[in-house]
Amino acid sequence: MHQLRSHIGEGPLLRALAVTLAVFAAALGTFVLVNQRGSDAPSAAGGVSVPPSASTDTRIASYQQLVRSHPSDSRGYDFLGDAYMQKVRETGDASFYKRADGVYTKALQLNPRDPAAVTGAGTLALARHDFSAALGYGQRARELAPFSFQPVGVVVDAQVELGRYQDARRSLQQMIDLRPNLSSYARVSYFRELHGDLSGAIDAMKLAVSAGGGAAENVAYVQTLLGNLYFAVGRRADAREAYRTALETFPGYVPATAGLATVSRRARALRLYRSAVARLPLPQYVIALGELQQAAGKRPDYALVRAEERLLQASGVNTDVDLALFEANHGSPARAVSLAKRAWAAAPSVRSADALGWALTSAGRPGQGLHWARRGLALGSRDPLFLYHAGMSAKAAGRAAVARAYLSESLALNPRFSPLYAPRAERTLKELGA
Amino acid sequence: MKKLAFAAALIAAAIAVSLSFGSSHREAPLTALDPTADDTDIYAFVAPDATDKLTVIANWIPFEDPAGGPNFYRFDDRAHYYINIDNTGDGVYDIRYQFAFKTHVLNKNSFLYALPGVSSIRDPKLNVQQTYTVTREKLKKGKTVSEKVVARNLPVAPNNVGPKTIPNYTAVANQAIQSLPGGGKVFAGQRDDPFFVDLGTAFDAINLRVGTGNQGGGKDDLAGYGVHSIALQLPKSDVTIDGKSVSGPAASNAVVGVWTSTERPRVQVQGVASAAKKHKKHGKKSDDSNFVQVSRLGNPLINELVIPLGQKDHFNATQPSQDAKLYGKYVLSPELAKVMNLLFHVNAPETNRTDIVQALLTGLPGKTQIGKHPVPADTLKINLGVPPSANPNRLGVLGGDLQGFPDGRRLADDVTDISLRVVAGELKGNHVPLGDGVDANDKPFLSTFPYVTATNSGFDSQIPKPITPTHAPTP
Repeated sequence: MHQLRSHIGEGPLLRALAVTLAVFAAALGTFVLVNQRGSDAPSAAGGVSVPPSASTDTRIASYQQLVRSHPSDSRGYDFLGDAYMQKVRETGDASFYKRADGVYTKALQLNPRDPAAVTGAGTLALARHDFSAALGYGQRARELAPFSFQPVGVVVDAQVELGRYQDARRSLQQMIDLRPNLSSYARVSYFRELHGDLSGAIDAMKLAVSAGGGAAENVAYVQTLLGNLYFAVGRRADAREAYRTALETFPGYVPATAGLATVSRRARALRLYRSAVARLPLPQYVIALGELQQAAGKRPDYALVRAEERLLQASGVNTDVDLALFEANHGSPARAVSLAKRAWAAAPSVRSADALGWALTSAGRPGQGLHWARRGLALGSRDPLFLYHAGMSAKAAGRAAVARAYLSESLALNPRFSPLYAPRAERTLKELGA
Repeated sequence: MKKLAFAAALIAAAIAVSLSFGSSHREAPLTALDPTADDTDIYAFVAPDATDKLTVIANWIPFEDPAGGPNFYRFDDRAHYYINIDNTGDGVYDIRYQFAFKTHVLNKNSFLYALPGVSSIRDPKLNVQQTYTVTREKLKKGKTVSEKVVARNLPVAPNNVGPKTIPNYTAVANQAIQSLPGGGKVFAGQRDDPFFVDLGTAFDAINLRVGTGNQGGGKDDLAGYGVHSIALQLPKSDVTIDGKSVSGPAASNAVVGVWTSTERPRVQVQGVASAAKKHKKHGKKSDDSNFVQVSRLGNPLINELVIPLGQKDHFNATQPSQDAKLYGKYVLSPELAKVMNLLFHVNAPETNRTDIVQALLTGLPGKTQIGKHPVPADTLKINLGVPPSANPNRLGVLGGDLQGFPDGRRLADDVTDISLRVVAGELKGNHVPLGDGVDANDKPFLSTFPYVTATNSGFDSQIPKPITPTHAPTP
């Protein structure tokens, strides 16, 4: 078939077809894109082959090669952006957000109607806690790909964080109707959890675990969340089993290591948190370690928290809510209040309300603190920490009966919800004569 | 060409995405990769050692690396897996076999998949065991007429961990071959993926390695990977429209269409507790009573070559009876034909491809057509009256072998080459001997049920990529 051969290797023609080809390749469902030379020499293909077991670094290198060979096809940039996002997930190195931003921007310049690029930009906005922008991207992606569930997932997450719970409920039902899988079940679980339906949340998370996913890390993630739900209701043995299963699925998985610490004796918990911080020095683990040290009567070291927060901010992440709670507990209450107010203005969710309430209480304004704590609990959430904040605010505001009710509910859910705050809740209840 | 490739495509997007570590706000993965729901292939044939029966092999969970951790690969306990049969030609299932799995962890304190020396399929040393129930549903115009559990608590073949854990793997796995009442057989568990393809060729915009791909030289990119198979062998009378056996290829009950699907529970966001109350009022079961189809597969060509990327979720959720309306235009004017012409100038007809519609959707008249007025539907048609070939040809009907694809599909049928040639116009007299250069699976198939063979063990796994030897051009 030399007539056929003669057309292979006509570079200009093939280059002109690059986008068509990529569409075709995607239609085939490719993990192998593309060397456009079309050589007929064996294995000279040099195409980008990314097997499913490839590490994220391999994946990044392959997609970088892909966008070099296909600089005008938006989809190569989509893949690369998603690989950068996964890199953050595995290393906590938020500088990859900037790189993801760069390639999604490039993809959108090439093809503003590429649903994967719009969805990618939406997930990046979510990761940076720019929920209004995320909602916009999600809605746009949804228009471009009405039968895909992923854009709906971006919309759901944004609506939840913006406090639009009725909208989120509708979107989430649409998502589950489109595609019941790990992604949608996990979101149903969180929605139920926010509304205080913890056993329903556990049921949905079990469905997510059973459905599984292609990436071990994703599966370990939902197994860890299942552990956290068990922990929240005081089922420590089940929680431990869930964390150990996650570590079996993805050895060394840091969120599961930290989860295991919450159900371990103090000495072991300290070891586990230290190893978590050593591998992934994220504020939440540094804070958890510090609070455990404090509970053990040792000097906590929170210096890393602010350093990490600065790094995150430099990568475009809005850390207001998390930082507000940290400042309220371990730093400057006045700063806590201004951070929490800003967080509420940007994302009026129950999470922001809780943080604002606790910031106000810590700043000596417990009356207002209780008001905001109640808004934080408005959906019926049964988060022991939310309840603790509400109870302590009520106590400080002189509302003894209210304080008793919140604090007992918190401890009834999980008497050991925090090494630092659960004993404080107990002491306070005693002072209140309960 | 194959569903697994679709999954592979999504891996990039899929593995991802998004957990903001700086925060307490919850970001679950947004992954499209869903291997437990992903039906990769369906095969349907009359086996030489069981000529009075229909044999179906259906595969899920693509790209199982046997060394990838045996706990990771198993059927989803909460999903329903189906083999569907249409014997009236309306694209709606008339008979369904449902497979529902359950995982048992014998020692909850151990996280080992198995202890060394597993000697039987129910050996307590096999710590993680899956069992399943088979339910046969009969339907009329999509409405259930009867539903009968035909087998329960059947064992799933364990994953092939290695010779220390399961010294005689073949014997242990063979214990998963179970009889069904009425003369059928069933098997479920890990197997070598029978599909063979040079993805590098096919998905690199048909970057042929040698000639037009009909001289070997291809690299079997699926060598070494496993899948989870369900093999089902049924007396033909169990699937025909009249419940009788088939007298010959021209018999009116000879042709049926088969396809797989996967369904998952459609939960209510508001929660099981409130949903259960609501359902009780209406006398319905709660929670798991409502299922959504998340995946389906009939012909090995349609989903990947024909359905555009943005339509795939929709395709997976819809029924074959809707195919003409929703996707007919993509079959009649396949994108692939245009690309082939631009690339290779092969003169592939670009429009009005009724030949493809006939070969895959409505059936070849007198050969694979169900009844007189079949609805175009993506189901794998098989004429049960055609006896097994003495000399099977990997190109099936194109190679003059009337027992092969697109009349059913045997394990050794080279659907990649067949598909490329059909799209290039073979059935309209435009003969272009295209291929991917891989002609057969790297591992031989078994001559007896379940026909698909064991994977390499995890211990021995290398995911090798053998090169098919170069040979003289095939006609």
